Amino acid sequence: MIRVAATGDLHFGPDSAGSFRPHLEGLEQKADVLLLAGDLTKLGTPEEARALAEELAGAPLPVIGVLGNHDYQSDRPDEVRALLEEAGVHMLEGEGTVVEIGDEQLGVAGVKGFGGGFAGKCATDFGEPEMKAFVRHTKDVSERLREALAALDTRRRVALLHYAPVKETLFGEPPEIYGFLGSYLLAEAVDAVGADLILHGHAHRGAEKGMTPGGIHVRNVAQHVIGAAYAVYCFGDGDDLRTGEFAALQPATH
Amino acid sequence: MASEELRPAQAGQGSGSNEEPPHYVVQRVREALAHDERVSELEVKVKVFGRKVFLTGPVSTEARHDAIDAVLSEVLPGYEVHNETQVARLDAPDDVERLS
Repeated sequence: MIRVAATGDLHFGPDSAGSFRPHLEGLEQKADVLLLAGDLTKLGTPEEARALAEELAGAPLPVIGVLGNHDYQSDRPDEVRALLEEAGVHMLEGEGTVVEIGDEQLGVAGVKGFGGGFAGKCATDFGEPEMKAFVRHTKDVSERLREALAALDTRRRVALLHYAPVKETLFGEPPEIYGFLGSYLLAEAVDAVGADLILHGHAHRGAEKGMTPGGIHVRNVAQHVIGAAYAVYCFGDGDDLRTGEFAALQPATH
Repeated sequence: MASEELRPAQAGQGSGSNEEPPHYVVQRVREALAHDERVSELEVKVKVFGRKVFLTGPVSTEARHDAIDAVLSEVLPGYEVHNETQVARLDAPDDVERLS
């Protein structure tokens, strides 16, 4: 059994210091890996990244993340990534990594993703250069996701995104902005090579659960959506933690 | 764009009315809350009724909640502001989902 803790849209800044660290204590008893689905900082400044890095340093389980659009706001995504990597977070952008979990392996491929909309009601790379650049960026990152996933030679695989791959996990958001929240090209890329789970954030008013046209679970783990500091998903063989058992692992203050 | 660069509410902008239409006020406030670095929240819901502004939705920290009042006083001087945003307090989850 593989247990994946996941969260997104922490929007961390110096004023958030101390808010996530308590959740890491004992988390290794509940999960095997922690995945961060982007928008890790408020404005993508090194100061904010440093605040989160201090929070995540020495985490008791592997931490893997992707950046989100907020992490690009100050045009310093490389510095944000470097600061988090210095704290031990494995950051992905069109890349994959493998986590050893007992005698199993979990492959994680990550990419920020981008917008464009969903099949039948989406943008096309046609016309002005700005429109072509918008759609081609989504095509590029989707292809990088497909390649990164395909390169993972593990029985269990997770795709980690910031933008949404399906409409279902956007329900609750105004339909007029779906095109800026995700793209079907991301789902198509994952369906082409297969995975056990797709995680994303970005859509704060969306819904947690969805499915790709190819039948792969999608979970929106934006903190506002899951209503918790993180969510835990498990799959594979073995005994899972049932409600009572999981509750028994909660810190005494909760 | 920082909030101080946003123009304040102006009267009589070609509509024959002395009031800026609420439609535009709402978006001006949303832009200010997104771009002012003290707040940088994109999920605040804004409703305008005459000279009253109501703000709802979750924000990440107490500091950002309090900064909303400061931003609104700069962007919409003279408006009555009701900051009903709430700081999200997130606990550990109660359960784990098993995926088949």
